[in-house]
Amino acid sequence: MSAVTARPVQTLIPKTKIWTGTRAIAEAVKIADVDVIAAYPIRPYTGVMNELARMISDGEFSAEIIVADSEHSQFEIAKHASAVGARTFVGSSGVGLLYAAEAITVTALAQLPVVALAGCRALDDPGNFGMEWNDTLVFRDFGWLVSWAKDAQEALDMTLVAYRVSEDRRVLLPHFVAVDGAAITHIASPVTPPDERIEGFLPPYKPPYPLDPEYGPVTKAQHIAPSLIGPEQRKVVDASMKRSREVIEEAWRDFSRRVERSYPPFLESAYMDDAELAIVTMGAYTKDAVYVAKKLRGRGERVGVVRLRYWRPYPAQELRESLEDVKGIAVLDFSYSFGSPDMGGAFYNELRAALCEASQKPLILDFLFAGGREPNVGHFEKAVEITKRAVKRGRPDRLVYWLTLRGEDI
Amino acid sequence: MAIPEYERLTWAVVHCRGVLHTAHGANLVRTLATAGMVAGKESYYYMRYDDSPERDNVPMIFYAVMGDPKVDVVLHEEVEPVGKLFDAVVVMDSSLLLHRTSQRALILDGTKEDAVLVVNTSLPPERVLEIVGERQLAHDWRGSLVNIRARTYDPEIAYPLLGALAKAWNGIRIEDIIGALELLGKGEKASVVEEAYRDAEPIRVFLRAGERALGRLELPEARGWWDLETYRAYQAAAAGARTYEERMMAMPRWEVLAPGLIEFGPTPGEKNIGFTTSFERYLRPKVDKGKCTDCKLCYHYCPDGAMGFEAIVDLNYCTGCGICAEVCPVKAITMVGEWEAEKGLREEELLTIEEALREYMY
Repeated sequence: MSAVTARPVQTLIPKTKIWTGTRAIAEAVKIADVDVIAAYPIRPYTGVMNELARMISDGEFSAEIIVADSEHSQFEIAKHASAVGARTFVGSSGVGLLYAAEAITVTALAQLPVVALAGCRALDDPGNFGMEWNDTLVFRDFGWLVSWAKDAQEALDMTLVAYRVSEDRRVLLPHFVAVDGAAITHIASPVTPPDERIEGFLPPYKPPYPLDPEYGPVTKAQHIAPSLIGPEQRKVVDASMKRSREVIEEAWRDFSRRVERSYPPFLESAYMDDAELAIVTMGAYTKDAVYVAKKLRGRGERVGVVRLRYWRPYPAQELRESLEDVKGIAVLDFSYSFGSPDMGGAFYNELRAALCEASQKPLILDFLFAGGREPNVGHFEKAVEITKRAVKRGRPDRLVYWLTLRGEDI
Repeated sequence: MAIPEYERLTWAVVHCRGVLHTAHGANLVRTLATAGMVAGKESYYYMRYDDSPERDNVPMIFYAVMGDPKVDVVLHEEVEPVGKLFDAVVVMDSSLLLHRTSQRALILDGTKEDAVLVVNTSLPPERVLEIVGERQLAHDWRGSLVNIRARTYDPEIAYPLLGALAKAWNGIRIEDIIGALELLGKGEKASVVEEAYRDAEPIRVFLRAGERALGRLELPEARGWWDLETYRAYQAAAAGARTYEERMMAMPRWEVLAPGLIEFGPTPGEKNIGFTTSFERYLRPKVDKGKCTDCKLCYHYCPDGAMGFEAIVDLNYCTGCGICAEVCPVKAITMVGEWEAEKGLREEELLTIEEALREYMY
């Protein structure tokens, strides 16, 4: 055998790494120079806390990492650390996230800009750790911002932007960065971390009124008599949520200038210009959906894809504009909602609610991938095919399909 | 159901054991994917999310996936049922060849017909081929096999295995692996890879699968409402499934499930065929009846109820954890390798738990 000669490293691609989503998010936490991390293991968050623990023990950055006795304590730790002025990171998924629900709710009402990973995991059935959105979607009503990453790269970027948006004084709301369990968190994919241009993107966190006697005595989230100050307190959160839209736009504009990627703030679309049919979804399987649209375009079918990057605030107006001219929508939906309107998923029904105010009303069909079983490109093609047939006939046979189900789809 | 989008990508799969190999398996696919990136391919790696990297000795799977720049890479995590995908299969512990995988599939299920198999073993190739032919074929295999004693090169067994893989498989070039090692800060392992590459001797293989039971499962019609008899029929079919496809076919339709997701236990005296654990085992206890004082400690300590009252091991449920051997006051129980117990062959290439690397990834 001839001697092996290595290629000089300079000819390689030094900037790109192959990182799992958990590693990418941990890198973002490092870049954000977070002060307090609350940890409690549950897949996929375990991966992030392990990476962070390694970084801290290797001296890559310093932060308090507190291992809690449960998810509830974990979110309480983040909440209180944030109240005294620390930049915090926390995360969980599945029923763990639901166990922490009380702390999660109060974090928003106390307007503490905690950033948390929501690792999109099925609500057990013991042992089911497939990917479903319900664990995150149940927190849609409480004042948390929720963004949804499509890959490890975006998970890193979104985590950084989340701090910027959350800590902005016009917002001061906590932020879930939702990442699809397994598909993003555990598949290592090409990621380009930001370079030195990222410096200055994230100013230091300075809460206006930290819970710290040095800054003068304050009481946070105090007990109130609802008759005296109930609706007003809700309105403050409502106003913050409304203002977050402009902050999100600004933040992504600035972020895009600092990296070699450009992100539209709320909606990402592909092949939508003259689309008659649209696939609407969020998260990791967008990549496969875009592939299916491209393939069907090759056969002359006018199919496009729209992806929501934010779930809260919900980009209703953008969706109405983007879907104005389509005749049919196939919703790729990883959320269930038993007994809901037309028995569709939570994602589907919220989209229908948003499009209720649209000038044209397309047919909207729900393709429900419940239970964590993974769909493949074949299922997505079938979803488009069913939608196309319904549009052609002018009416759907039914509204909701379970394409990955074994057994009769009644 | 074969889907061309997945079949046209390049796949390598690594079979290993939780904790013992978790970091070694991750090192292997990480280096492989990085080498793919060096070669200009869109590259990914991941562990199978269904597996348990944090549980001792439980079989687990890693994948590396590469797409040519002109090929769209679509991701799919549960890959076995979507076609003949795998170009290369690496087995970190030869005892994995004796049983089905963590997904109760065959090692050579979901492989391309010309797949390359790399086995970390001290056994001769003909014995490996024998067991593969006997237990692991889902279809004909017209590929190549390379055996390598990885630990004799380096305690970090991923690197010698990569060298052997590069020799047997044209899907990756050794230059790109060396480039990847530099990128990953593992430049010192280059000589290990090169040495294993030089020594590895792939052999061409042609094994016929012969008659397989594929697609001939007989399952009762679902009657629109659950009943115990139908559920048991599915249970039996799933336990007996030989390939991933068969296993998927044998899993119950929703109509068969009893409310509350009940798994029906066995009637007294019968086994619960849905919960056998032989695939977790690379060692098994051997009881020396001459030394045994019948003290029943092993019976009481066995966490899986696999040790009988008369110190007879039920191999359907023994995970090979070794607690019985540990607690035996007269050392009547010794742990024996699976190969030795089944075939009378000693496998020298087993890592000890001390040789497992610390793993942060999961």
